[in-house]
Amino acid sequence: MAGVTEVRELRPGLDAAEWAELAGLAARAESVEQAERAARVKQPGLGAAERVAQAEGPARAEAAKGPSRVEQPRPIAVDWPGGRFSSPDRRRVVVTGLGVVSCIGIGPVEFAAGLRAGRSGVAPITAFDTAGYAHSNGCPVTGFDPADWVYHAPLPELGRASRFAAAAARMAVLDSGLAPAKLRAARCQISIGTTDGESHDLDRLAAASVSAAPVSHDESADSSSRLSRLARRSRATRLSAAVAQELELPDAEVVTIGTACSAGNYAIGNGLDAIRYGDADFALCGGADAICRKTFTSFYRLGTIAPDCCRPFDADRKGILTGEGAGVLLLESLDSAVARGARIYAEVLGYGLNCDAHHPVAPLGTSVARCMALALEDAGVKSAEVDLISAHGTGTKANDATESRAIREVFGSAPPRTISLKSMLGHSMGAASALGAAACCLALTHGFIPPTINHERTDPDCGDIDCVPNTAVDAELGVVVNNGLAFGGNNAVVVLGKPERMR
Amino acid sequence: MTPSPSPPLLRLTAWSVLSAYGHGSEPFRAGVLTRTHPDGPDDPYPSYSATSASSYGAVPIPGQRARLVPGFDPREVLGRKGTRTMDRVTGLAVATVGHLVRDEDRGARTALVLGTTTGSAQSIMDLTRASLTGERPFDVEPATIPSSVMNCAAAQCAIWHRLEGPNATLACGQTSGLFALGYARRLLIAGRADAVICGAAEEYSYSRAWLEQLSRPMSGVAIDTVMLGEGAAALRLTFDPGPAESVLATVLAVDSGYAAPEASVENAVRRVVHRALERAGIEDSREVWAALPSGLSPAEHSTLLDLFGAAAVDRLPAPGELLGDTGAATAAFQIAVALAVAPEAPGRVVVLSCTDPDGTVAAAVLRLGKES
Repeated sequence: MAGVTEVRELRPGLDAAEWAELAGLAARAESVEQAERAARVKQPGLGAAERVAQAEGPARAEAAKGPSRVEQPRPIAVDWPGGRFSSPDRRRVVVTGLGVVSCIGIGPVEFAAGLRAGRSGVAPITAFDTAGYAHSNGCPVTGFDPADWVYHAPLPELGRASRFAAAAARMAVLDSGLAPAKLRAARCQISIGTTDGESHDLDRLAAASVSAAPVSHDESADSSSRLSRLARRSRATRLSAAVAQELELPDAEVVTIGTACSAGNYAIGNGLDAIRYGDADFALCGGADAICRKTFTSFYRLGTIAPDCCRPFDADRKGILTGEGAGVLLLESLDSAVARGARIYAEVLGYGLNCDAHHPVAPLGTSVARCMALALEDAGVKSAEVDLISAHGTGTKANDATESRAIREVFGSAPPRTISLKSMLGHSMGAASALGAAACCLALTHGFIPPTINHERTDPDCGDIDCVPNTAVDAELGVVVNNGLAFGGNNAVVVLGKPERMR
Repeated sequence: MTPSPSPPLLRLTAWSVLSAYGHGSEPFRAGVLTRTHPDGPDDPYPSYSATSASSYGAVPIPGQRARLVPGFDPREVLGRKGTRTMDRVTGLAVATVGHLVRDEDRGARTALVLGTTTGSAQSIMDLTRASLTGERPFDVEPATIPSSVMNCAAAQCAIWHRLEGPNATLACGQTSGLFALGYARRLLIAGRADAVICGAAEEYSYSRAWLEQLSRPMSGVAIDTVMLGEGAAALRLTFDPGPAESVLATVLAVDSGYAAPEASVENAVRRVVHRALERAGIEDSREVWAALPSGLSPAEHSTLLDLFGAAAVDRLPAPGELLGDTGAATAAFQIAVALAVAPEAPGRVVVLSCTDPDGTVAAAVLRLGKES
């Protein structure tokens, strides 16, 4: 039933063991279409090139195939705890797989096309009853069937965020061309960041707890079993556990990072350090969240939900739109990627994290600036070398002005172009900075800058920031900074570099 | 800098707890050493919860006892300023971490790593309930919004104690304390902090009890066999103890794995413990003086018995057996048990093992006392 022949045709370059593994995967798929979809993601360079060739002609298609040349790495002796004392000995870490569930595209190919097109993910929220709110637009993920991607983990036992996480992780592995058996035999880390965990399920449990409707004797067993299932899957630990379950990784380090809206960057940083200092060979790291009443209501009550769309850095910006999805990056050492001939999207040059220790919800500019400086220092990059900043850019008055000031503090009065993906994706919470990192990888690989859409007039409070309004531009990028800020003053910043930029 | 000739040692130099034994480490140490069951209050409905018991719907809440931190109220312990809307788990964390903070931590070089299950289930669900029952769906109290996000406790610790270094919240359930230790280790190796305060906190709440009651039938553990508990434990980890710091233990290894629902917990524990011992350089299981399970998983307990024998497993009391199911605080309490006996057992090797119902399995190997 599984399109095994198609898979074989689409993946001519695999060795026997890899083919057997992937054929087994396809055998569990429910349709030829699903297997084909998996196969398309398996060879993203091909898919991207084909797609871009249709849209933009052969030259761009060539670029979309990704880097053709990677310098040989120098031999690296890694032995804990050399990293702490001898930074040249640490392993270099690269991104070789992307998994994306977003409101503007599922999978890295569709996502890249959405970013380039400046697609808007705005739609009315249907995840909960929005009666009584004056406005209730959001950026929900549509057209996502978890069964396309999640083969092992039983879907009824996974909440929406866990499904996003498991699907994105599966996608990242397919995208990387790494046979699951190889992943299983290696030391692997899974870090999934989240703001809300499965709060959508907690919402439903909360609703049941205040329901006035009496439960009849006949219904109570059903109702009780439904609530039991919701309760079981409501713990945030399950987001990362779902990935381990789906990919069958019993020896993986499995961690959910609950550091709110910068959690995706926290997870990528945790993966970076694990590989850099020899704790892991591969890391599946990123973030996931699902739209929920609790968080929508919180932002609404704080007056920070935009009525129609999100306009980062615009003088008329009115706030965020709550979004959802997942981004998962597959990280490995540069040596490993080169040795297996993997396509390299980007090098994770470094990251930084700190805490404002100041206010539960209001960001502190000097601390945000310090975090960017820490990340640049960790990456060994000067601020002048940075070509693009993917800002946290929520589209609230406070965030964008504060973040812009912090950027000027680090990058001077003429900072690099600074975009906000939230104009397209809304605020996908724990997934936000992971999707941001995935977008940065695609921008580096394909040579373009995604736009900040919905933009009319840049707010003077945001300085002279060039937010690449409304239309993507072509650009050869060397170094990109991806910001994540969170409630509680939890900042995390990831620095990514073009793979050719081998130091 | 030149590479250090010998690997630096990860030192645990201080610990702090708020437990059913009372406030601070002394009652905990006394209780653990004598294996006394704390006398938890009989009232399972703590006064901090404004929502009435009758509003919790179709599935009855368990009416059993819970082992609470006696007399704990954030406003009593931390003062009335800034605590009006502080939830219980945040109060437990802020108070516990506060015992470990020194003057030199007030800056960017001390990190905080805090484990949780889902933050405060009570705060999260209260916010949704307010939205569902208020006159308008957005009639929620703005001051309670930060409490409904999982990182509230860690963020409030930073704000209260001026900790501007890395600040992470790990949602690893019962194994959180060991994951926090592993994450702290990595922060230190990467040079992102000079010292890390790591630990975990869990509150008893009506909502947590209800969720536990709902989810347990499938996990095979009846609610009345393990009483719900709460509390917090925090540890101080550093490569470079100051002259005034005493070394209580050295962390030789931390490791973890995952047991899928259909997989054997015994095998997972065995693999993780073996890896941890290997990393610690412990070749003979007879070197292990104590093997400490969480006390919440029979499979884990039997595996440790198998690996290390009854003498080692019985050496120290498992926190779950004394304090009940303290959720995310479980593994952090296990480390605290080891540190509580450290002065009496210098040089001894302790293995800690913990499992979580969602499948994470973690282990650590410590050597007590100053010796490496």
